[in-house]
Amino acid sequence: MTKRPKLIVPAVLAGLVFLAIAVVYFVEPAGSLPSFFPGHEAGSAHHHTKHGIAALVVALACFVFAWFQSGPSKASPA
Amino acid sequence: MHPISYFQAIVLGLLQGIAEPFPISSLGHGVIAPSLFGWDIHQNDDFFLAFLVATHCATALVLFFIFLDDWKRILSGLGRSLRDREIGAEDTGARLGWLLVVGTIPAGVLGLLLEHPLRTLFASASTAAAFLVLNGVLLLIFERFRRRPPRPGDYLGDSDSRIAKLTWREAFGVGTAQAAALVPGISRSGITMGGGLLFGLSNEDAARYAFLLATPIIGAAGVLKLPELLGTAGNGVRGPALAGAIAAALTTYIAVKFLLRFFETNRLTPFGIYCIVAGVACSLILAF
Repeated sequence: MTKRPKLIVPAVLAGLVFLAIAVVYFVEPAGSLPSFFPGHEAGSAHHHTKHGIAALVVALACFVFAWFQSGPSKASPA
Repeated sequence: MHPISYFQAIVLGLLQGIAEPFPISSLGHGVIAPSLFGWDIHQNDDFFLAFLVATHCATALVLFFIFLDDWKRILSGLGRSLRDREIGAEDTGARLGWLLVVGTIPAGVLGLLLEHPLRTLFASASTAAAFLVLNGVLLLIFERFRRRPPRPGDYLGDSDSRIAKLTWREAFGVGTAQAAALVPGISRSGITMGGGLLFGLSNEDAARYAFLLATPIIGAAGVLKLPELLGTAGNGVRGPALAGAIAAALTTYIAVKFLLRFFETNRLTPFGIYCIVAGVACSLILAF
């Protein structure tokens, strides 16, 4: 895998953003979500847990990507 | 009175176990069969979702145990690569493991976001029958445009090493395409096998890849819906669900063992023809 150290910071930032989005989905009901969030529904008390899990999965993927990019540079062919 | 009888549960379990690994859409068959039999069962009923949890968990467990040796290599490879922060050039287990992760993430995320709206939108049996025809056409297209024809000895040697030669983009593409299987009638294993063929795998390797890729997705879908089975929606369904799960486990085992042998020398073509014929026949029956 080709290492791209320049992508570590953007990947970590993206991971943090998705982590925050996941927390919002877990904590806030659909009615209280920001209007630009998928699943926003005025007045709804439903929690979009699945959206939260999806955001959490993407956050983890970003962190894992950053972890690999921070590894030793003697890379193996991908 | 059970909302789903033991007989219905066993029939649907047997069907799920066959249709999940076969590239013929278990979801599509699950929607069409009750309509054909005149059963008052709908995919969106709470009790039916609870029933599906059990059959999906059974299918995932059987797939996991059939490929237990592969999963041991994959999981240890994933752990090794995380520890070393790189995927070793000769580390097939790690490479295959991350290819599966890369393929599973888009399918999982799209599944989480789109499963309910798509299931609601395309829940009718006649729509599922139409998509079954499309699934058949897709399978024939995959065979027509595959990167290379089957060769003698394709099944000899280490299958995992050959699968691990897929690129990250190919794995991501196949994983994303799996989301099409959220529409009843389109087969997840069919899409995955077809993607494997387009990217140069043999039929047997494509089938193995499809089964490995299916295990975490089906298992996660089952686990996520577990509260449905354990909660009030599961009342009166747990007995039939257990019977359905045992039936599904049995037919999944037989179907996977059969398919791995079948694809040593055969293609997706018969399944494509079956889907077209069955889809057209069901459309006609449901229309009149």
